[in-house]
Amino acid sequence: MEPAGDKARIYNSRNARLIREKVMDSFGQKKILYRLITVAAVFGIWQLAANHYQSEFMMPSPLKTMITFTAVVHDADVIKNLLLTLRRVLTGFAYALMIGIPLGFLMGYSKAAMQLFDPLIDSLRQIPIMAWVPLTIVWFGLGDGPTVFLIAFTGTFPIVMNTIAGVQNISRDYYNAARSMGAKPWSIFAHIIVPASMPDILIGSRVAIGLGWMSVI
Amino acid sequence: MELEVENLSKVFINDNTVHTVLRDLSFSVQEGQFVTLLGPSGCGKTTLLTIIAGFQAASGGRILLNGRQVARPGPDRGFVFQNYALFPWMTVRDNILYPMKQQKVPAKEREQRLQELLFMAQLEGKEKLYPHQLSGGMKQRTAFIRALAGKPEVLLMDEPLGAVDFQMRQNLQEELESLWLKDKTTVIMVTHDVDEAIYLSDRVIVMSALEGKVLEDLPVKLPRPRNRKDREYIKTKEHLMDLLKIAVNKRPEPPEAQRELCLA
Repeated sequence: MEPAGDKARIYNSRNARLIREKVMDSFGQKKILYRLITVAAVFGIWQLAANHYQSEFMMPSPLKTMITFTAVVHDADVIKNLLLTLRRVLTGFAYALMIGIPLGFLMGYSKAAMQLFDPLIDSLRQIPIMAWVPLTIVWFGLGDGPTVFLIAFTGTFPIVMNTIAGVQNISRDYYNAARSMGAKPWSIFAHIIVPASMPDILIGSRVAIGLGWMSVI
Repeated sequence: MELEVENLSKVFINDNTVHTVLRDLSFSVQEGQFVTLLGPSGCGKTTLLTIIAGFQAASGGRILLNGRQVARPGPDRGFVFQNYALFPWMTVRDNILYPMKQQKVPAKEREQRLQELLFMAQLEGKEKLYPHQLSGGMKQRTAFIRALAGKPEVLLMDEPLGAVDFQMRQNLQEELESLWLKDKTTVIMVTHDVDEAIYLSDRVIVMSALEGKVLEDLPVKLPRPRNRKDREYIKTKEHLMDLLKIAVNKRPEPPEAQRELCLA
């Protein structure tokens, strides 16, 4: 038996991006080397910039920053806030999944649902995230509310979009095969639509988590 | 078991022009026969097969299975797809169990049937593999026994060997035949390969490219397994090839739009 992570990748053969990742995995040492080169380059340029400005205020040196960083992560206050942010991101992400996945299935599967929701989603999607901030404060007050809402809000779109794409990309043959075996709609949903669109849903979720961290205020 | 195709027609309407793919097609298939629908590309043979399967509706006429009209897909008609359509997220075992679970076959019986089918297709020990881990031949055998798992009355096969090279194709034809001889389910297979048609079938229905008519309904009575170098075999092959030439040549040059439709 393969580990669950590999199982998710196996039926991903149409997803070139994940295959590339898998191939990269097999060059583990090379991968680490490349990462080290990136980190070294960033620190090098940083150090050069610090030398140039000679000002702790405008551009502190990487060494000094790292020392402060290690001191800060031991600070109870910082850890408390970090956990708070983590909780907000996860809560928002959970909402995004709860709204995005069912909506994506519905819109991917039913043309009527697509026509109904698409204009709404497409216009909401274009609104700059900052424009929501005053409104959400009015709606939810200060505290967790606005942040969680914004994380959920930004995360919903990539999940919806990718779920739709995942459902629409399922080969007609799979539906036909299942129907000719006597499968009822529920079984087709649970055993064909869900697993076949899972790779795309995972991609959407990954993007959503990333956006979630970016929406933390 | 008897399958009857009665005055079947299929037209596609594209940009306000009507393209007739099948016109007034009638034939019937008896229990245990291996029937091949042979014809040039675009003659509507795959369309005919998918209508029998219920994947698309006929424009006129009807399909009767044991005297009962069928219009939707159902487990009484198994289907083997050109690209096999094995579910890539299920193991060989789960793929084969799926149709039986849909038909509420009790777990014990399911397991027994699974072992029977795996033995028949020489796939024992492969049941935990995923489709992408199988060779072409194993995929084909898996698709074949999956379609048989639900005990369909008739097995429909859409160019099941269409995607393999010549050498492999001959091997797989032999494999398919030996599998079929163990089960003797009624089969309707679509192909454009004359040799494949003669090697496998009891009866070849030749369709013309023009409006999908039956050009000839030819019984093949050679003893199995068939010798491809046998004189009778070669004579039949030459006859069918001449017929196919007529099937293609008789057809007027189609307009561009229709040609695209044929390729699809």
